[in-house]
Amino acid sequence: MNPMLGLVEGSPERQAIDAGEIDAVVDYSTSKVVLLPAARRALRELAGEASIANHLLAALPAAEYQSLLPRLEPLTVKFGEVLEEQGVPVRYIYFPIDCMISLLTTAEHDRALEVGLVGYEGVVGTSLVLGAEISSVRAVVQAGGTALRMKGTSFVEAFRQCLPLQRVLLRYAHEELVQARTTAACKLFHAVEARLARRLLMTSDRLRSLEFVLTQALVAKMLGVRRATVNEAAGLLQQRRLIDYCRGKVTILDRKGLEAASCRCYATMNELQMSQ
Amino acid sequence: MSRRPHKRKARGAEVTTVVVLRLYIAGKAPNSVQAIANLEAICQEYLKEGHKLEVVDVLEHPGRAMADGVLVTPSLAKLFPLPAANVVGNLSDRAKVLFALGLNLKTQ
Repeated sequence: MNPMLGLVEGSPERQAIDAGEIDAVVDYSTSKVVLLPAARRALRELAGEASIANHLLAALPAAEYQSLLPRLEPLTVKFGEVLEEQGVPVRYIYFPIDCMISLLTTAEHDRALEVGLVGYEGVVGTSLVLGAEISSVRAVVQAGGTALRMKGTSFVEAFRQCLPLQRVLLRYAHEELVQARTTAACKLFHAVEARLARRLLMTSDRLRSLEFVLTQALVAKMLGVRRATVNEAAGLLQQRRLIDYCRGKVTILDRKGLEAASCRCYATMNELQMSQ
Repeated sequence: MSRRPHKRKARGAEVTTVVVLRLYIAGKAPNSVQAIANLEAICQEYLKEGHKLEVVDVLEHPGRAMADGVLVTPSLAKLFPLPAANVVGNLSDRAKVLFALGLNLKTQ
């Protein structure tokens, strides 16, 4: 049914629609917000642009991007897949598109701390960028999706020749370093509740969604705390109506509030990203 | 709208009427983005600190739109001071917005 039928002919709403100034109409008969065609098209284009590629690849001049493209191979990565192992030579460099990868520093074989989180804004394989062949982290897929990968050898060659690629990736390597450094201080000084809030915000940013799946066991492992501690911290955030956490499904209800509840580290990492 | 200072409250800074506004938008759709920019410019120029603006994205909160009787977005509602008023569209017609806000150009 046409939701515009509910609007009176000649009313200010109808006039604004005719003037092309309206994006959406609230259809009370179905309790839905209906986007008008022009707005729908514009939003779809925006979404398309955002998912076209990885942020770092998108930051390259068109000619450089085109020259890299034949060497980039799209692939799907699955939850739990290990893309890089600590102490092992890096075979590929990955540019995530809509997946999320956690970088872990392992102490013993079953104990690890998350020192970085990579999504469409970054790259997995910064060791190669920094001239090392051996990975210093374990990279584990936390949210499956697509990524573009390039063989390590091809990448090193391209990196040597392409100045814009160097600029973009070195900048990101610095960002990753800041993330790790901040995490070290954060783990020592900040309350679990604030750290959990930060981790949820970072996840939401990388997945570009306010809803995602994240089990408490996993978060506990990433934050280096006990599961019961995470449960307690999540309960506090839930009590404050900042999030909803049910059977591993997180919904951020109040993003601003969650930002306020998170530690300063979230802003520190974000400011750096924004300044690029 | 009269703007008498309330003596009881007036301690230190001068008390002015705070205009409370709510803007309903549809995500980053073009008219919504434009409406925010237009409204921010108007607030900056005419209301300065004396306003409170809440932006409600009806794509995220369709329930809010229904509860508040919103028909289309973008749509601006002036909630305070009374009388309540609203303007629909991308708010590019500045005179219309100022009229709804109870601000006449001649007062400038």
